[in-house]
Amino acid sequence: MWKWIQKLASPKVFYETTNKLIPWFFWPFIVLIIIGLYWGLVLAPADYQQGESFRIIYIHVPSAWMSMFVYFIMAMAGGIGLIWQIKMAEVVAKVSAPIGATFTLIALSTGAIWGKPMWGTWWVWDARLTSELILLFLYLAYISLNNAFDNPKTAAKASSILAIVGLVNLPIIHYSVKWWNTLHQGSIFNDISNPSMHPDMLWPLLIMVFAFQFLYGVLALVNARDEVLVREQNSRWVRTVVMGE
Amino acid sequence: MTLAETLSFLPYGKYALYIWLSYGITFILIVGLFVRASINYKKIRSQLKNKYSREND
Repeated sequence: MWKWIQKLASPKVFYETTNKLIPWFFWPFIVLIIIGLYWGLVLAPADYQQGESFRIIYIHVPSAWMSMFVYFIMAMAGGIGLIWQIKMAEVVAKVSAPIGATFTLIALSTGAIWGKPMWGTWWVWDARLTSELILLFLYLAYISLNNAFDNPKTAAKASSILAIVGLVNLPIIHYSVKWWNTLHQGSIFNDISNPSMHPDMLWPLLIMVFAFQFLYGVLALVNARDEVLVREQNSRWVRTVVMGE
Repeated sequence: MTLAETLSFLPYGKYALYIWLSYGITFILIVGLFVRASINYKKIRSQLKNKYSREND
């Protein structure tokens, strides 16, 4: 295992591995998203209180979940890059940021659109909504800090520290519905053995969560693969890859 | 008549506007990520190709 990680830290092996892994993330994403959308939008019954409007949950919850998951990966990869000076970890952190920011934007906008008919307002300065908005700002700060330096090493160092400090926001988002009296409803997955949702509605949600995981995987791999080429443009193997294509 | 009422002939009736709007925004943003990745792919390879062929001259 350790040997494999060390091997993966070599840019050339990293490039080849990402290239091989891309279809293994792309096709499961396509299959899961088709099943999840059909189940969620067509087969699942309407909610007895929210009617048809609850169907927004099938994109809102997976994207909100991914907005936090991607941030965690980004901060961890940034930390690994800081501690062990692994350049490929810096690449993973860098390419994750725009993807995570997009998931956050999806979570916020679909939440607002659902809030209009259900709460009667697009936005409230509620703990859950505000902490998720702060997450979006953290992503944007990370991206602009990363672009502010010409030297990718300095950029990775500065932005990784920001990402790690920002980690404190994740438990705040997660527990905001418990700690404060918020308008946002509580978590569906609090008790795995007794979920607060009927299986006909829960299954498509779980499928969509997995679909979004694979979506992040394929996007991160594609972007990381290209980022490695730019960073290693002076090595011989990049030359062979580019000129050979 | 509000916009939500105007669009209520679509599937999901009075919530049609909200459901299609949120799925539409999500679709556009995700497709945008793929488009960005594919533009990057082409741009990086053509830039590097140019660089290497200049060095060969």
